[in-house]
Amino acid sequence: MTRRLWPDWQSITTPVVLAALLLAWEVASRTVLADQYVLAGPLAILARIVDDAGLYGRALAVTLREAALGFLFGNAVAVLLAAIAIAIPALDRMIKGVALVVFCLPLVATGPILRVIYGVGDGPQITLAALAVYYTTLVPLLVGLKAVPPAWTDLVRTYGRGRWIQLIVVRAPAGLPYLIAGLQIAAPAAFLGAMIGQFTGADRGMGVLAIQAIRTLDPVATWALATIATAVSVLAYLAVGWLGRVLTRSAPPLILATTGGGRAVGRWRRIADPVLSLAVTLATVWGLWIGMIRVFDLNPFFAKGPGDVFAFMLGGPAAAANREQLFEALGQTLAVAVPGYVAGLALGAALAVLFDQVPLIRRTMTPIAIALRAVPIIATAPLVVLALGRGDAAMITVIAIMAFFPTLVACAHGLRQVPPQVLEFFAVFDSRRLTVFWQAQLPAMVPALFASGRIAVPTVVLAATVAEWLSTGSGIGNLMVLTYTTSNYNMLWSCIVLLTLVSAVGYALVGLVERIALMRFAPEQVTA
Amino acid sequence: MSSFPLSRRTFLAGTGAGLTLAAGRFSPARAQAGSATLQLSWTPSVQFGGSYLALDRGYWSDEGLEVALSAGGPNVAVEPQVVSGNALIGVSAADYASAAVEQGARFKILGVGMQKNPFTIASLAGNPVREPADLVGKRIGMATANTPVLQALCTLNGVDINAIEIVPTQYDPAPLVGGQVDCLLSWLTDLPVAMTIRGVDNVTMLMADFGYTVHSQTYICTEDALADNRAAIVALLRGEIRGWQSYRQDPATAAALTMQMFPDAGLDLETQELQASEQDKLMYSPLTDESGFAWFTEETVAANVETLALLGRTVSPDLWDRSVLEEIYADGVPI
Repeated sequence: MTRRLWPDWQSITTPVVLAALLLAWEVASRTVLADQYVLAGPLAILARIVDDAGLYGRALAVTLREAALGFLFGNAVAVLLAAIAIAIPALDRMIKGVALVVFCLPLVATGPILRVIYGVGDGPQITLAALAVYYTTLVPLLVGLKAVPPAWTDLVRTYGRGRWIQLIVVRAPAGLPYLIAGLQIAAPAAFLGAMIGQFTGADRGMGVLAIQAIRTLDPVATWALATIATAVSVLAYLAVGWLGRVLTRSAPPLILATTGGGRAVGRWRRIADPVLSLAVTLATVWGLWIGMIRVFDLNPFFAKGPGDVFAFMLGGPAAAANREQLFEALGQTLAVAVPGYVAGLALGAALAVLFDQVPLIRRTMTPIAIALRAVPIIATAPLVVLALGRGDAAMITVIAIMAFFPTLVACAHGLRQVPPQVLEFFAVFDSRRLTVFWQAQLPAMVPALFASGRIAVPTVVLAATVAEWLSTGSGIGNLMVLTYTTSNYNMLWSCIVLLTLVSAVGYALVGLVERIALMRFAPEQVTA
Repeated sequence: MSSFPLSRRTFLAGTGAGLTLAAGRFSPARAQAGSATLQLSWTPSVQFGGSYLALDRGYWSDEGLEVALSAGGPNVAVEPQVVSGNALIGVSAADYASAAVEQGARFKILGVGMQKNPFTIASLAGNPVREPADLVGKRIGMATANTPVLQALCTLNGVDINAIEIVPTQYDPAPLVGGQVDCLLSWLTDLPVAMTIRGVDNVTMLMADFGYTVHSQTYICTEDALADNRAAIVALLRGEIRGWQSYRQDPATAAALTMQMFPDAGLDLETQELQASEQDKLMYSPLTDESGFAWFTEETVAANVETLALLGRTVSPDLWDRSVLEEIYADGVPI
């Protein structure tokens, strides 16, 4: 290949497209959106960041520290839990179940409780950042740790080594790319978690400045903060991705499907195992719930136990009225969360395929896609609401934006996980690109799509409740905040239980569809 | 006030001899020397200027009390912080406190920071809401949680709430400025101040001027704390009152001090100064001029109980406990 005299036209399209977008943004902020107080232009934002560099620098340092600690703790816990789940398969379901329940806890409700537990300081900020990341790391990591050919694990077994050696020698390297994908999603999430954590009563940080900016009708400050948060998130995303490329050099392994599963499992155990796991999970959650109240000696005024929630929702005299209020709010939330979920997932998968098939689009759109997800919802929500009105369409869009990015990352990663042997096979037959996609890449994407589809369930519930809390003042997100003013903490805890149940049921439904799909596309992922 | 031309505190502050003289009187408080947390209800701003002055000028150290100010925010519930003992006193409001009592908390309201409720209907000058009747046919932006507040205002003024369209909004004045709603339910010292600073010509209708009588920025503590830790509660509230008395003399200094104490909170002096002067109307009244900051009477409590009933709260006047204020003001108004 000869060296070109001109730069490849493809390599300059990215800057050109980005420059055009910036220009359109600047023009919009000065014309149609000038007096709306929802959008600031790039020049004004830049000027503000330069003017207030000290203020933003200090706020960023505080928030970065909290986010980094949360990222560290959250991911360490995820890796530990994944290792235990693989090494002791009996605990797999229980760990996943409890981890899911903890991830589903709405931060609108956990924030004040964490503040009571920690008192003054940055405990809640770090904890909320950790809670925002651990699950999105755990799920892909578990997928990756299982994405090994049976021959490899058999080999370890023939050497007489146990599951721990198998985990370290075989599964850990296989899981690494999936871990990296999880960490990439985790980086922006940790930053947002720390910012929201600052809403629980902090003196400084990006979250404190964000509240101030919105309330003082200062969109330039809101967007300056959003720009900084986005830049940090994109940098963290790219840094983790770079680290991943340094660490993972080997190509994905070829996994020959052994349809029907290795071990024959009786019908009785196929029914009994999930039921038993569910029972153990519920018992563990129950124990953690009561244990937390006891250990931290939380006052019964606001710390409600399972008995209180049962009485409030089912047993007590006002239970019917309470249920009506709860379900009405839940209905409002689901009316936007479900379409938002479907739209986000579809958008994520479609973009991943598009990116894969058309590299030009991938190069220009990737930074935009990362930015879109990383821009804090408190900055984007007012803009979306202005564009689409104060109806459901705006909320659905906001939720879809929150949901699509993890799906995009996971699916794009899945599409690349086709072993080179398979691609060579298609090359030998001179297959068309579409055939390769349809017969090799799409099946490789399916486990990733479903894994992120499962994670997206609680993510969407969180996004919907946060948006309702911060921006629309409706639905179950708002009902939870209402309890701060009415001290109706039975309602708050019932909301937590209900939202967790909804997330868990949604998760299980997606899991059911996934099982059917994986039997066909990736049997090694299906465990008894 | 005139009967005590030189109060104990100005005397102390003014003369070195006072310190020696008072040493005996103050020893109980000093023996109690300890620390306490005051849980504020929102992020740092001049809204808590009196507390900042108390801290800065050493009014609490005069009492032998080390006070930590715990910031609030959109995801902070004050009452649990007080119930759990993380804070000795919390800044709450009569409606929140009475709701908490209905839910089994044992709170007392010790003093009233805002004599007038800060809830305001803010509108643009071109489409103003000056009295409740103007609300008919308007779109009002507010958190749906505040519907009982609007309902109470309507009942008090004979307006049909069904003639008002409630649009759910949260902490953001942009929907009003952008024309998505005709008016907003907000604090007088909050969104209207922001709009004025941005040059948006706005009209405010203070709900307290139309019969909505709910004490705000009230100081609450638990009955248990009042029984077991009374000395610290008296000391904390005394310092706080001195802080707010100083604030009254010079709100601009409070605004400047807020800027100085919280350089990282994203505040600007102009907003803080306007907020400080707006707040003045809510916190001081002929009643406080006569009897001292945070004072309340049987009559004001009765009016609160009536409005709270409209909000669906059944509350006994026993929720208010003036004994701490009476102790503080026993020998005259401080400062």
